[in-house]
Amino acid sequence: MDMKVIQDDDEMTHVVLDGRFDIQGAQEVDSRFEELAKSSKALVVDLSKVSFLASLGIRTLMLSAKTLLRRGAEMAVCGAGENVEKVLRTTGFNEVAGLYPDYDTAARALQERLAAFSSKKA
Amino acid sequence: MSELRPPFCSRDFPATVEAASEAENWVARQASDMGLGEEAEFAIGLCLEEVFLNAVTHGHANRATISVRAEPDGVIVEFADDGAPFDPTLAPAKHISGPTEDFDIGGYGTGLMQKFSRRMSYSRFEGMNRLVLEFDASRNANAGPGSLSAP
Repeated sequence: MDMKVIQDDDEMTHVVLDGRFDIQGAQEVDSRFEELAKSSKALVVDLSKVSFLASLGIRTLMLSAKTLLRRGAEMAVCGAGENVEKVLRTTGFNEVAGLYPDYDTAARALQERLAAFSSKKA
Repeated sequence: MSELRPPFCSRDFPATVEAASEAENWVARQASDMGLGEEAEFAIGLCLEEVFLNAVTHGHANRATISVRAEPDGVIVEFADDGAPFDPTLAPAKHISGPTEDFDIGGYGTGLMQKFSRRMSYSRFEGMNRLVLEFDASRNANAGPGSLSAP
């Protein structure tokens, strides 16, 4: 599975996946996700080109979400097709990382959450 | 090892993660050849990955056999393995509730299999787990003639 990482600014990391998020796909991107989860402030994962998602792919996304949330960082997913979205909603992943139709909407939502968090701390 | 052409095919695999990945590709090819439709292909692949990895990591199985059979109104996938007895039809479906950072990373497979299959049935016979999964199939427009006809 192809994985492109675009650093939009200091806060927003945009990951674009392309292919099948199956066993092989998850093994190909796992370590990069682990690194991003430890360093990103806000991570948007674009699944619009992901045609399949199953057990190990979900695990990769959940591990990343858990690491990010425990660091006070944020995660969102965008562009999921019908079946991929059904997987995410069936597990309840949408309860811990928002699902959005496209990158711009997801990035805006995460920026608002980060801003709200910063103003609470101030 | 046996391998027949669609609408019925069956293949043996060693119970390893590498073979699970190979099985995933094999089943995707069979489902595509049978013209089962995108939704059925997705559902079959999802359930197969789940049940195969369960057999490897939790059941410590040595071997597994997968059979795929097209029916007029759907497709039946049978997964048999020689691992520890495990009936996924009885396992609770897990779901993350509410915004939280305290959630489990695994254990969602049963809920997914229930959601993506039409029916699941389990039996234990001669030291083998036997899980039968039924799926609805929407035939692809470009499917070959008679590819969903029962033998």
